[in-house]
Amino acid sequence: MKRRDFLQRALCATAGSALFTSFAGKLSLAHAATTANGRLLGNDYRALVCVYLYGGNDAFNMLVPRSGTPRTRYAASRGALALPVDTLRALNPLAAPVDGGTYGFAADMPRLATLFNQANSPLALVTNVGPLLYPITKAQYTAGSVPVPTQLFSHSDQSVTWQQPAADMIVRRGWGGRLADMFHATNPNPSLSMNISVDGENVFQAGDDVVPYFVGQNGAESMWMVDDSPWNADRRAAFVALRDASHGHALQRQYAAVMRRSMANGADINAALEGEAALATAFPDTHLGRQLRMVARLIHVRATLQMERQIFFVGLGGFDTHDNQLEDQATQLGELDGALASFHAATVEMGLANAVTTFTASEFGRTTSINGDGTDHGWGSHHLVLGGAVSGRRFYGGLPDLSIEGPDDAGWGQIIPTTSVDQYAATLARWYGVAQGDLSTVFPNIGRFATSNLGFMAAT
Amino acid sequence: MKTVLRAALVVASLVSVPFASAGDRVFDGGFDDRTEGPHSDAAAARFLTQATFGPSMATIRALRQTGYNAWFASQAAVAPSRHRPYLESQAAAGLDVYQNSRQEAWWLHSVRAPDQLRQRVAFALSELLVVSDQGGAIEGYPIAMANYYDLLVDGAFGNYRELLEKVTLSPVMGHYLSMFKNRKPDEATGIRPDENYAREIMQLFSVGLVRLNMDGSVVMSGGQPVPTYDQDTIRGFAHVFTGWNWANCPGTDSGQSWRWDWCPSGPVDWPNPGWDAYWMQPMAPWQTYHASAGTKQLLVYPGVTLPGGVLPAGGTAQSNLQAALDNLFNHPNVAPFIAKHLIRRLVSSNPSPAYVGRVAAVFANNGTGVRGDLGATVRAVLMDSEARTLPSLASNRGKLREPLLRLSHLWRALDGRADDGRYREWNPDYYLGQAALRSPTVFNFFLPDYRPPGELTALGLDGPEFQITTDTTIASATMGLAYKIFYAWRGMPDQSPDDIVVDLQPELAFASDPVRLVDRYDLLFMNRTMSPHMFTTLVNYAQTFENTANGRRQRVQETLWLVMGSPEYAIER
Repeated sequence: MKRRDFLQRALCATAGSALFTSFAGKLSLAHAATTANGRLLGNDYRALVCVYLYGGNDAFNMLVPRSGTPRTRYAASRGALALPVDTLRALNPLAAPVDGGTYGFAADMPRLATLFNQANSPLALVTNVGPLLYPITKAQYTAGSVPVPTQLFSHSDQSVTWQQPAADMIVRRGWGGRLADMFHATNPNPSLSMNISVDGENVFQAGDDVVPYFVGQNGAESMWMVDDSPWNADRRAAFVALRDASHGHALQRQYAAVMRRSMANGADINAALEGEAALATAFPDTHLGRQLRMVARLIHVRATLQMERQIFFVGLGGFDTHDNQLEDQATQLGELDGALASFHAATVEMGLANAVTTFTASEFGRTTSINGDGTDHGWGSHHLVLGGAVSGRRFYGGLPDLSIEGPDDAGWGQIIPTTSVDQYAATLARWYGVAQGDLSTVFPNIGRFATSNLGFMAAT
Repeated sequence: MKTVLRAALVVASLVSVPFASAGDRVFDGGFDDRTEGPHSDAAAARFLTQATFGPSMATIRALRQTGYNAWFASQAAVAPSRHRPYLESQAAAGLDVYQNSRQEAWWLHSVRAPDQLRQRVAFALSELLVVSDQGGAIEGYPIAMANYYDLLVDGAFGNYRELLEKVTLSPVMGHYLSMFKNRKPDEATGIRPDENYAREIMQLFSVGLVRLNMDGSVVMSGGQPVPTYDQDTIRGFAHVFTGWNWANCPGTDSGQSWRWDWCPSGPVDWPNPGWDAYWMQPMAPWQTYHASAGTKQLLVYPGVTLPGGVLPAGGTAQSNLQAALDNLFNHPNVAPFIAKHLIRRLVSSNPSPAYVGRVAAVFANNGTGVRGDLGATVRAVLMDSEARTLPSLASNRGKLREPLLRLSHLWRALDGRADDGRYREWNPDYYLGQAALRSPTVFNFFLPDYRPPGELTALGLDGPEFQITTDTTIASATMGLAYKIFYAWRGMPDQSPDDIVVDLQPELAFASDPVRLVDRYDLLFMNRTMSPHMFTTLVNYAQTFENTANGRRQRVQETLWLVMGSPEYAIER
């Protein structure tokens, strides 16, 4: 029995999830279609980069109203945490957002503000996004007449929900993993995972067939004592004999599998990086800057690694600003600003700006109400999409009324999303190459929402 | 002779015997005069792997002499080794005290303290009642964090209700999860109580998100797990956890907001000694900032004392906190929740429901009607038949060893220490992905029910420690252990007094005979669960080195590292 068959059979038997089984079945068909017609082969590199903001970014203090009614409501809700108008980096969109307001970025985001305001802008704002099962109004939410994802407002659950292709999935799979299941066979190199994380384990990149590969900020960790140098031959033979023995325990097999993957791919990646001509673009020496620099370098050596489709994951923590928010979030947003802007510059330098799209994700937004010097777990939130293929300098989606107990407040300033994560992800997936007809295979709930394409990616 | 001996050992190592019927092995000492065991060196080593930071030949012998019962009694009797005094002694000696010092204290006690069970349980609790120096609010307070760890050390065998209260009122937790200076609603400024601690004390420290049966299985209704609480409950607890500030605030409850805001962390100003004294004391209540008005929705469960789980309006910060902690502590989930956590940290990632149920029953009632007795619960975890019987490979029971525990194991087995007595292992997180009280978030280093994609997910098996076993950390941890074995041994050229070095001298005596050497590590590191294939591979490889002084040292080092880098070692059964 092949491993894949074994897995599917085991899943049918244990999880009992008809939804999941049909997913896997349909996906393999879609996968067969993409490889059979060969439309993705050739010189057509594409990469998606997920920038995960751990803790729940307070996007209502990242993208801030500067005038009019939206400003008045914001100021009333945010009280001592309201960012003063004169500190904001004014945004100059091609079309006014739906609420007719004027907006600015927080002060520590000068480079992203410049990118947003420039001609042929690569930066779009997708507003009030969050996990949903169906479109929902406040009346429906209050009455409980339309289902919502379970365990809203919990870090661990919503961070998983955000990364999954549907908010009611039971199996921990991400939509980045689903895309990789569809596209990985188009990569000439079959051994290296097309999903690479520079920030460790995540749900987003986990697929059925594709298991994400993790690298450090300086490349792959080397098992140099057992590399294939001749002087290590005996030790390597013994190490590999222990590693690859026929293990009787499932956890032993898992450990051995991770070790095998680590050793094989680590050697390939480090060899490729060693042969890399240096990028001229400078990156900030920050946690996120170092991660995105590694992503840029891996993209730079894509030909050596023989990759045509890749999905990357990087992360930045510290957004759970229950207290000391003004100071802490400013630092975090400053780090995000510098790292994203540098990364975009690196894609331009490589001539790949149109082939790389970077987007933010975060488990939830934060309450419009405050708890003194911080905010609590919310729901809907604003997000950034960056890349040469992005129709930038625009707002996509609704802009909520930030009033406490207002029409968009689920309670205590937790804002009900007007765009679902499914729609946000499906728009990116379409650009990545998923056919319109295959969207519902990846995102089973997408048909419940008004549109599967929010329009922020240029038509392909 | 060698061949005969090896064959005998290999055959014997195939036999998995429950402790009750185990016979002595070739090198066993024969102290078999107690009924409760352990009845073999392997059984002793296995127990010490679960109950301490790793077995050594000396502790295996000692446990065989005393037996489990006397060992438990002696562990309960020995004075707790506290971490804070170590940091204070460094400060008194004029050293700058940072989080480094706290890590030194952790290694010192984990590797050397006599109260091993207490320290091991405290570490398990530190992965439940999580605070982390990655949190900016407490990063600069290593002594206060060591004092927090001592709450766990002191409370390891105490009552969970008491521990939960001490943790709740600790200024360290208060700062980490922002209950410190959390205040009642204020309509004028739009302020409402912070929900952070309310949420996490329920989700992570006591009941979890979904209703559990006593055996840890999830209560389902209409095909869906039944949630334990909702947003109203979180708001209720958020209101309860208001009005707490430093101990000994001048003018407490004067109603003057500047006093609440500017209350100092000690009786004297920085940098005078004592400026941070209140970090070590429980937080104190201010009634004027406590949300006394209004009812508070707390947890609802069968047999809940408060009608409808509703805490009536009124009450003080203290009385409401007591009522809320009682409401939490008596939720039926707490017993299986804590039982499963301790089982997972000490014994197995995938315990049978019956095992969880037996331990939960002891948590619920220690036999004398007391709920929450951690000492009794820990003993139930370790002495359960499922813990004491070597599980078969096919059962998939056991767990991936935590990276920190692999290094502590090496150092306990081979007496790792520096000549100057300090453990300058300050940043094990760099290569092991773990360090005491240094998880990325309150969700610990890994989620308790983490399942890597692939076979484990297909089989429905949890492997929490796999969450930090990435392609990067599996290599860095394995290479990190290589440095500790090959480049940090007593007597090596250029050894400095602050190098933590292993003692290879006792090992060299075995190295002339690779069979005896491998057998030693089979016991010391793998509780004699090594497969014949692994045993033979190691013996054959060791024999490729000359039987000279230098070659024997290489045999020891190479064998040790191959053992510790193997899947069979990584998964402890």
